[in-house]
Amino acid sequence: MSNLAGIPYYVLEFGDELVYFTPYTITLFLLALTFTIFVLVSRPERQVDIAFGGDAYTTKEITISEMRFRRFMAIACGLASMGAMVTGDIFNFTLFTAMVGITNVGIVAAVKSPHVQNAAFQYGLVALTATVPLFGGAAVYAAATGSLSMIELAKGTLPAVPFVAKAFLVLGVIGEGMAPFYAAKAEMFRAPGAPYVIMCSLSSLLIFLRVIEVVMLG
Amino acid sequence: MIIRRISHYLCNYENIVPLFAGACAFIVLIGILLLPIQYHNDQLYPKTIDRNSTLDPYDRGGPPFAQATIRAQYPENSPSAGLVTSYLTPFSQFLADTTPHLGTTIVAHPGGILDEILYNTRGLDTVVEPTILFIAFAIASYLYRKGS
Amino acid sequence: MMWGQYSYGLLVVLIAAAIAFIALAMETDDLHRFLLLDLIEIPSLAVIALLGTDLAEALVLPGLTVGIAEQLALSQIYCVKERISANPVHGLNIEVIAKADAPLIISIFLVVYGLILSGFTGGGVAGLGLVFFFMSRGYKEDLNLLEMASGISWAVWIFAFFVFMFLPQYWYVALMCAAVGIVLKVTVKMSLVGTMWGKGDE
Repeated sequence: MSNLAGIPYYVLEFGDELVYFTPYTITLFLLALTFTIFVLVSRPERQVDIAFGGDAYTTKEITISEMRFRRFMAIACGLASMGAMVTGDIFNFTLFTAMVGITNVGIVAAVKSPHVQNAAFQYGLVALTATVPLFGGAAVYAAATGSLSMIELAKGTLPAVPFVAKAFLVLGVIGEGMAPFYAAKAEMFRAPGAPYVIMCSLSSLLIFLRVIEVVMLG
Repeated sequence: MIIRRISHYLCNYENIVPLFAGACAFIVLIGILLLPIQYHNDQLYPKTIDRNSTLDPYDRGGPPFAQATIRAQYPENSPSAGLVTSYLTPFSQFLADTTPHLGTTIVAHPGGILDEILYNTRGLDTVVEPTILFIAFAIASYLYRKGS
Repeated sequence: MMWGQYSYGLLVVLIAAAIAFIALAMETDDLHRFLLLDLIEIPSLAVIALLGTDLAEALVLPGLTVGIAEQLALSQIYCVKERISANPVHGLNIEVIAKADAPLIISIFLVVYGLILSGFTGGGVAGLGLVFFFMSRGYKEDLNLLEMASGISWAVWIFAFFVFMFLPQYWYVALMCAAVGIVLKVTVKMSLVGTMWGKGDE
């Protein structure tokens, strides 16, 4: 078990899928938990448009239903990130990552501006493409080692994981979390509502940190 | 300078789908070059096929309410594994006894290896999966209502 | 290393995936990109299926569901983005069907048969019965009831999961809960299709 990032303090057993808390995963888990609580209690920001060269400014209106929907998506995103942080199963991790991707699309897509809608659609296409290398990578993991459990992989008794499987997994996480596309993400963030859009960034950062641990196993 | 140009290209969101698809194609091509991947023969949940059974190709349960052996990763965590596999509803049992090819539709009946894995040994996957479906459905119905 | 059956299978699937990805990278129209993605999902399922164990069957199902779910959400985003709001699909506007008892009887038969079958196909059959009924009657009520049923079935399923995990001796209860949950879920999803279409003839 030396390859895991620290000795698990606690292992929760769900049949074949173990959920384990090492110092590394517990840190990330607490970070996700804290932000989810922030989203739960905070009020959304209200964007102000200032007309250049004059004194005129308008506050963008946010409807209650839109606010509630985006808060729901942000909380779901937080829960998905928490799950992805502590799960001890490769396929389960990919599922949680896919869930992070779709909740991120949901947070953005609820805004009615055509510009934001267009960005959300493009982002959704990338998230959907990313499921292919994600699930494909997990399947190659299973075929080459005969196990999906991270704890088994860390023991070092199974055959080595092929490079392709790891590359697929990382590529999938990049696509779901849009990690290198922060410039494009900034475009999506023209959507108002600060705590919710920050959840998008934080969740993609967290799943990326976790996948680094995952590919170091086996 | 080059970083600014790359960043400028990336900030146009029309470009990200071709970029990501290109990266996927690139990794797939590398995957083809690295190919022969050794298949590990010691797999979990191995498939056995009994051509003479009326439940073929899904017969791996034995008699109902008797525990079949399931090669799970952590059998000690799922003490009831193997019971679901062999379970058939009375109606399915009747069909299995009277018709030769129930096996082709057995996925439609409760019980069987799929339910064993989906609900029991790998139940957490199945919890996440309908949740994703739920989220997607919530997005679609929210936009649908807002549009109408 | 040896070229086994698995490697040959993977070679074919990866070539298919590479062709699909290159096509996606070259496509510029949004709708065509979206349709190509449907195509790309297939090699991903094929990679999972190459595992060739019972586990593969259980992994294909979530993979498929996630793909379909994201497509559902994305298609709706596409409609909003392109401002496609007109609903050209009408219910079955046949006068005889709208008044006669036959659709009711056929629907009841399908729903009852679906409940007996249970599981995935059962849900599909029962859902088909409801779709047919809603389409023939031009159903116009709000969707709250159906969404609530969908939520309840989800909760039943989660309950079944916890019974399996923490009270394995009651596996039979859990199995029945999961089977009922999935019937409800699939039925509700399919009947929603019926009501969305039925709205067209207002």
